[in-house]
Amino acid sequence: MTKPRLGIFSLTGCAGDQLQILNMEDELLNLVARFHIVDFQEGSSHKESGPIDIAFVEGSVSTETDLRHLKEIRERSSVLIAFGNCATDGCVQAMRNGETTLAQRLKDVYGVEPDYYDALESKPIREYVKVDFSIPGCPVEKDEVVKAITSLLHGDSPLGYSYPVCVECKLHEYPCVIVEDNKPCLGPVVRAGCEARCPGLGLDCIGCRGPVEDGSNFAAELQMLLDKGYTEEFIMNRLRIFSGELPEDFLGGAK
Amino acid sequence: MLINILEKENLVEFFEAMQSYGEVVAPVRATDNAHRFQPVKGIDELDLDYTRTMIPPKKYFIQPKETLFTFNKEKEKYLEPPSIDKSMVLLGVHACDINAMNLLARVFMEELPDKYYLERRKNSVIVGVSCTPDEKCFCKSTGTDYAQEGFELFLHDIGDKYLVRVGSLKGHNIVKDHSELFAAPEKGDLDAFKEAEKTRLSSFTIEIEMSGLQDHLDMSYDDPLWAEYAEKCLGCGSCNLVCPRCRCYDVQDYINLDMNTGERVRMWYSCMLKDHGLVAGGHNFRPTSMERLRNRINCKGSLREEMPNCVGCGRCTVFCPADIDFVEILQKVRGDIK
Amino acid sequence: MSNKSTLKPVKARITDIRKMTEIENLVTIKFQNPEYAENFNYTPGQFVKLGVMGVGEAPISLCTAQSDNSELEFCIRNAGRVTNAIHSQKVGDVIWVRGPYGNGFPMDEFYGKDLLLVAGGLGIAPIRGVLQYATQNREKYGEIIVLYGIRSYDLMLFKDDVLHYFREGDAEGVKLYLSYEDQEDLVLNGLVSERDDRITNGLVTKLFAIMDEPADNTVAILGGPPIMYKFTVMELEKMGFTPEQVYMTLERRMKCGVGQCGQCIVGTGKSIKYVCKDGPVFTLWDAMNTKGMI
Ligand SMILES: Cc1cc2nc3c(=O)[nH]c(=O)nc-3n(C[C@H](O)[C@H](O)[C@H](O)COP(=O)(O)OP(=O)(O)OC[C@H]3O[C@@H](n4cnc5c(N)ncnc54)[C@H](O)[C@@H]3O)c2cc1C
Ligand code: SF4
Ligand code: SF4
Ligand code: SF4
Ligand code: SF4
Ligand code: FES
Repeated sequence: MTKPRLGIFSLTGCAGDQLQILNMEDELLNLVARFHIVDFQEGSSHKESGPIDIAFVEGSVSTETDLRHLKEIRERSSVLIAFGNCATDGCVQAMRNGETTLAQRLKDVYGVEPDYYDALESKPIREYVKVDFSIPGCPVEKDEVVKAITSLLHGDSPLGYSYPVCVECKLHEYPCVIVEDNKPCLGPVVRAGCEARCPGLGLDCIGCRGPVEDGSNFAAELQMLLDKGYTEEFIMNRLRIFSGELPEDFLGGAK
Repeated sequence: MLINILEKENLVEFFEAMQSYGEVVAPVRATDNAHRFQPVKGIDELDLDYTRTMIPPKKYFIQPKETLFTFNKEKEKYLEPPSIDKSMVLLGVHACDINAMNLLARVFMEELPDKYYLERRKNSVIVGVSCTPDEKCFCKSTGTDYAQEGFELFLHDIGDKYLVRVGSLKGHNIVKDHSELFAAPEKGDLDAFKEAEKTRLSSFTIEIEMSGLQDHLDMSYDDPLWAEYAEKCLGCGSCNLVCPRCRCYDVQDYINLDMNTGERVRMWYSCMLKDHGLVAGGHNFRPTSMERLRNRINCKGSLREEMPNCVGCGRCTVFCPADIDFVEILQKVRGDIK
Repeated sequence: MSNKSTLKPVKARITDIRKMTEIENLVTIKFQNPEYAENFNYTPGQFVKLGVMGVGEAPISLCTAQSDNSELEFCIRNAGRVTNAIHSQKVGDVIWVRGPYGNGFPMDEFYGKDLLLVAGGLGIAPIRGVLQYATQNREKYGEIIVLYGIRSYDLMLFKDDVLHYFREGDAEGVKLYLSYEDQEDLVLNGLVSERDDRITNGLVTKLFAIMDEPADNTVAILGGPPIMYKFTVMELEKMGFTPEQVYMTLERRMKCGVGQCGQCIVGTGKSIKYVCKDGPVFTLWDAMNTKGMI
């Protein structure tokens, strides 16, 4: 049986998710052995052209170069996976989208004219190409990566997390930091998959896995935290550090 | 019914005696609002004078997440985990939770027995303890404030003694094997029990009228109240996951990197989560949070095996991060409040 | 021994796979353990959970009538993870089975009555089981009318059976009517020129206008999507069918199939039902008393 051709690509981000793959040590050897690696920036300088069965793309689209690169990857790949929160949601680079224009920000921060860099407003990759599956997280969870890859090798689409952190929080019987301490936990609107790591330590969830696309009620979360005395600015900043560009209807009410 | 008296000063010995029947799990203070059932080694770790745990003791019978079996595709075989022979003593369970488990026992042990539930229940000793309701308890309304069955022993606090009801032959044998700890009840003990029950029953501060509630729910199907609450609801699933009567679960397969071995896993689930009504092709039978919330309240307000499907423990209200009050919803459904 | 007790599946092997449409295969399986096969008793309308280890299980209707050759047929649409995995299996591969589950159509209560079967889309799967049962026990039933709505010929399921009854059903007392949505469909347009009294362009409900008036003692048996039920029921009520004369099979998300996992819940406080255990076959009377059922 020929090995599936795998590519791991980076756009704009910290490459932390690729590092997470390198951190997987024992599993990594096992994983690599099952694929023909076409491209893996962080792991080797070897590059091949030609079609790709599975492409992992990390980072957000922040430059024209990113965008060209992304479109080219999409064309070559049968399955394209957004890898990490930058690719999935835009993450911190996309945090200020919609607040001021990109031109204004380039001017304010770098003191340059809009065309000085080939910069684009940072966006999650779903804004430009079809994404078959997302593995969120900042950084991604090893276990989820292994499970997703195994599913793909097995010929199934990977299972995502359609439910919020609260579910895992309850399954672990961690005390709820909202109920107990009125902390500004984003758990109710953020994707599970981290086994509620922060509430497990008594901390409020800061949303590093991005928003639950469907079925969560951010308007209610916002209102609940406003009622507890947090400001809208604080809540939105917290949410957007990792969630960056929010899905269009996310800020709406109950669905 | 067999009754015995256990002096509170014998509690340490009683606890030690219970340890000979298996690992003792009991309520331990976890937070301001909640206790947690967990294994305890000594009587000083546990707190029998508690109101509620966040997660109900059903977690010992149907676990939050558990492997149903592991499989080997090449060998075309699967293997269930070995029989559970570890015995356990659940010490300090309240009447509402015992009644909740009585329903779960019907679902998981009778018609189509679940191996795991069955084995764990068979290997366990349940010791109930009486309690004082707080401002969120309404088990009196649901008729689940008193346990008639589903325990080995039930301890009723009557001052410096416990009146102990024996609920099973296993419970009777425990008393027999440790007869030195128990005494026969005297007239005064029975009077004290009656007084204690009177006090307990008069301490409830909230109630819902159960009579005809099922029809009220049916009539309220199109009421705007569901949408009003849905607006506040985060869809987080907590209310179901803390409910002693909820039994919804999900099943998922995981395969290992060898593409050959793996496991099938069962996990608690919640009807407040979007996928609960989702079928292939993307059709969802409860696509909005209004429909999901309505489904939960209707399920909880229904009768299962002639008993209300809610035991009035108050957990769903106490542990809802959005402060959605279950009793208030039902009172609105009935038109008791506007 | 019927293995209904837990979530434990038993082993079967795929003995035949036939492509029915682009997305539907007819999969035949045989139990490995003859004892299990012998005790596998079911009625049409019941279902099993079919599973592939490592992917999961899906509820699938039994679409045959009980027979003693211990083979079972399933019409399976590739609709997601599990069904895709089943589609990737080959003859000889293992498939895991639990069941049969649920309440089927009460075929013995229908003795002596006329049957009106209405099917749309994949809903033909359980209905085909009913038809097979009724034709195998032909003397027990009166006239059999089948209304089958499809989009196009490409999507027609059980083509052999359907075309057989369409052309030669009358001899066996089966009147089969077809409706189709794709006006350009050459094959179906061809069938119109063969017998225009039995086929029409449009939705399945259009067939009520061209079919023969059913007798008073007819039971209607429906299999299809919820929207079809809504409109079919309206037609049936117009014709005077009472709520106890109309049977239908429902689809819901199902994990356990035995009334434990709660995922197939339907109804209000007054009428909660678990479709797997209390159904999947219900009467119109059940539906009228269970909000949200159809
Ligand atoms: C009583 C009954 C009889 C059925 N008979 C047939 C039949 O004869 N032929 C046929 O092709 N299909 C039938 N279906 C539909 C079939 O069960 C679904 O298409 C199938 O479960 C989809 O699973 P999947 O993993 O392939 O899809 P996915 O969309 O990947 O499923 C994701 C998850 O949702 C669950 N799920 C999704 N859809 C359904 C559903 N409709 N019912 C229950 N669980 C679901 C699955 O358990 C799975 O874990 C029937 C459904 C029911 C309830
Ligand atoms: S601590 Fe946060 S994640 Fe956990 S249940 Fe409470 S709100 Fe949800
Ligand atoms: S519905 Fe709420 S009050 Fe009733 S048993 Fe469940 S958690 Fe307790
Ligand atoms: S349907 Fe909802 S309320 Fe009912 S048992 Fe399941 S999770 Fe609980
Ligand atoms: S716990 Fe509260 S917020 Fe969360 S799903 Fe239940 S009702 Fe909604
Ligand atoms: S499928 Fe589990 S209760 Fe119906």
